Amino acid sequence: MLRVEHLSKVYPNGTVALKDVSFSVQDGEFLAVIGLSGSGKSTLLRCINRLIEPTSGKIFWNDIDVTAAPSSELRMIRRQIGMVFQQFNLVKRSPVITNVLSGRLGYVNPAQSLFNYFSPADRERALNNLDRLGLRDKAYVRADSLSGGQQQRVGIARALMQEPKLILADEPVASLDPVLSHSIMKYLEQLNKEDKITVLCSLHFLDLVHRYATRAIALKDGQLVFEGLPKAIDDAQFKAIYGQEAERVSII
Amino acid sequence: MDTAAILPTRSNHAPLASALSLLAPGAGQFFIKQRMRGAAILLTTLAVAYLIYWADDNFRIGQTVLAGVTTNWLWLALACFWLWNIFDAYRHARGLLSYSVIGFLIPLFIVYAIGWQVTDAKLERLVTRASDAQTVFTAILHPDLFTTDDQGNVKPSENFGDIIGKIVDGPAPAILVQTGVVRADSTFPNLVTGKLIETIALGLMATIFSVVFAVPLSFFAAHNITSRMPGGTIIYYAMRTFLNIVRAIDTVIWGLVIIVWVGLGPFAGMIALLIHSTAALGKLYSEEVEHIDAGPIEAVTASGANLLQVIRYAVVPQIVPPFLAYTLLRWDINMRSATIVGFVAGGGIGFFVLETIRKGGYEQYAAALWAVAIVIISVDYVSAKWRERILIGDTQVKLITPQPFYKSPRQILYLVFGLLVFVVGWNLTQIDLKKLLDPGPTFGRLVSDFVSIDLTPSLVETVWKQMLLTIFQALIATTLGGLMAIPFSFLAARNLTGRSVLSIWIYYITRGLFNILRSIEALLYVAIFVFWVGIGPFAGALALAVTTFALIGKLFSEAIENIDAGPMEAITATGANTLQTIAYAILPQIIPPFVSYAIYQWDINVRIATIVGFAGGGGIGLLLLQYSGQLQYHKVGTVVAMIVVTVALMDFASAKIRERMV
Repeated sequence: MLRVEHLSKVYPNGTVALKDVSFSVQDGEFLAVIGLSGSGKSTLLRCINRLIEPTSGKIFWNDIDVTAAPSSELRMIRRQIGMVFQQFNLVKRSPVITNVLSGRLGYVNPAQSLFNYFSPADRERALNNLDRLGLRDKAYVRADSLSGGQQQRVGIARALMQEPKLILADEPVASLDPVLSHSIMKYLEQLNKEDKITVLCSLHFLDLVHRYATRAIALKDGQLVFEGLPKAIDDAQFKAIYGQEAERVSII
Repeated sequence: MDTAAILPTRSNHAPLASALSLLAPGAGQFFIKQRMRGAAILLTTLAVAYLIYWADDNFRIGQTVLAGVTTNWLWLALACFWLWNIFDAYRHARGLLSYSVIGFLIPLFIVYAIGWQVTDAKLERLVTRASDAQTVFTAILHPDLFTTDDQGNVKPSENFGDIIGKIVDGPAPAILVQTGVVRADSTFPNLVTGKLIETIALGLMATIFSVVFAVPLSFFAAHNITSRMPGGTIIYYAMRTFLNIVRAIDTVIWGLVIIVWVGLGPFAGMIALLIHSTAALGKLYSEEVEHIDAGPIEAVTASGANLLQVIRYAVVPQIVPPFLAYTLLRWDINMRSATIVGFVAGGGIGFFVLETIRKGGYEQYAAALWAVAIVIISVDYVSAKWRERILIGDTQVKLITPQPFYKSPRQILYLVFGLLVFVVGWNLTQIDLKKLLDPGPTFGRLVSDFVSIDLTPSLVETVWKQMLLTIFQALIATTLGGLMAIPFSFLAARNLTGRSVLSIWIYYITRGLFNILRSIEALLYVAIFVFWVGIGPFAGALALAVTTFALIGKLFSEAIENIDAGPMEAITATGANTLQTIAYAILPQIIPPFVSYAIYQWDINVRIATIVGFAGGGGIGLLLLQYSGQLQYHKVGTVVAMIVVTVALMDFASAKIRERMV
């Protein structure tokens, strides 16, 4: 279980990205985070695994205080939390398999990993994960020769190498077209339902939220303005989150 | 490294494959259909074997006496490569991971072992002879520019006058005497310009004239133009080949030929610059002409315009900005070349440096270095800013109606100033067109000697020996300069520095160091290292290493600035530690560009290494200096031909390799 308590983040230049945000995520949930660009969704996700240091507040992952963890403990926490990015964040020049294997770095012997050594078991695991995402035949090509949708699947395979209990997905489909978006979301849904991995996913489109999320929270100017079931977002709620001028659009 | 695992086929050809590789390197790999790999292994074996033989034969490198038999330990290293190749064939045939790194490192080790000794690289001399070098470095910190007179007033020194310019009392100009302004017997202060000003004039005049020649030539080297002419394809290829050959010969080497024609002096230097610059600009211009967009031509023609109007409104606007930008770039390069062309052609600061070094005037030499650095850094800055403005263009279209230029006082002022600069430049360069028509009596014979390349086997062997040595010299220089540049490039990368005041200072100091070192040509540095480590190829390699350090340091730091932060974030999020993040997110992003830049720099360094011999830096330049000094121009022709072919091959190979890396 993930618990976020009174989380705030102020950037050095004075921008207030998060203001006193509190919520919790139960194991097995598919929680969508919605809000306009700049509402603090990315900052929130990155505070959870401390890619960004929160200014104040606490985060508990299975009752361990993430915000207080020293660096070695933080790495142990991070390896249980997979992350998927909008821009995929693959090392473009490296082969797909190396990108996937790099998800295992928190587990393996650090010295051996510096020489690109991974155990046969880990290599097998990487190939199996790629197989699961339909990319086994692409294992030895350079990451930048893949299409956007394929790159994101590599990103998911990398996260799976961590055998995560939780996946943080930061706008995983914002760089993809509608058809690919659904394909990626279905993979995340599958991981959530079959592997019981908790998913915390920020999304732009409300119909994706309705279709895939079990629960949703909404941020506006760094504050939590909604928490509840996706279908509870009616027109009034919608305008509260996105502003009076906003109109609903949908993808496909 | 992982490529082997692609092969799902597990065959039982392994013993046969390894047996074949035992007989001939690469044969086993070829047999299991890894043709590229097999060919690469075979070629590597042959090339390395030749190098070992060559080094043994010419320099006795690697010779050891083993049990009473004189042999060469480098053959043992090659045998290791052979063994690896057998092992590699076996692993590949079994579909197992092979250790390509080892197969890559052994030949590399042999090449460096040979290169290191061929260039006589003795790094320890940098320390043991440091006390000798102190003289030069003290001089560099105390350049002879100002003196203090008896009253303690600081004034420009004699040397300052030689470099920048001075006022000397002399006879008054005739025009002032005739008009009665001054008396005929009175002394009059005359301005004598220094060598630095002469250098600036050389670079400027060469650029102006090369534009005049390159523009028409470029149209004959552009495919889209020649294809409309009768016999166009022939003209195109002839022009392209001509431009490429002329371009492959360094300005300084052109100087050797030109002095026979017009004699020593700034005029010879200017022509040498002009020839090389015309060919280089011609190629760049022609590529721009080839990239003309046909759309606007079609559109303007469709509006009923005539041919001249089409050129004026559809062609000229497309080519003028890139032409101007390339010209400014060339101006920058010509200014740099103008600082060294004097080493052979006379004229400019290069000649001055040559003289001061001969006299042992290190403080005067140091003053020249500083003066060159200041001028080149300024030129570099102006040229870059100007190019930026041209290529970005005025996004704001001026609303005022443009006037003909003669109605605008500002335009007239520019025009007058431009004309003045041109006239002064013409005089300083001592342009004398009559000399062109009246070359020395031996000129015809020397040119026909030069063109009829002497291919006597013994001569070709001598030249080839020095050429290979020069390539090794460039390799050692690139390696030393590149290794030095790596730590500094991190200090000059904006994304890694800039958090505290101290790191901002470090950033600017490192960048400044790169820019100062980069502004001075390697040939001008050679004197320092001749004094430090002694005359010979190692001094030349070190001089090259200094410019390499600065050039590659700048490129490396830019590569570091271009690192994508995304992967770093992703790897950190997996729970990896800092070292793992560096190994998996940063190194894969910077190693390929680093290696690619290093290969590119090696290619450039080979060209420059061909001339460091003119200042005592060894290599093929020394040979060139000897042969031209003895007026044996048939041998000069052989050397130049060797350089042209080698440079072209290196160019081609380095471009191919870099293409595959990026």
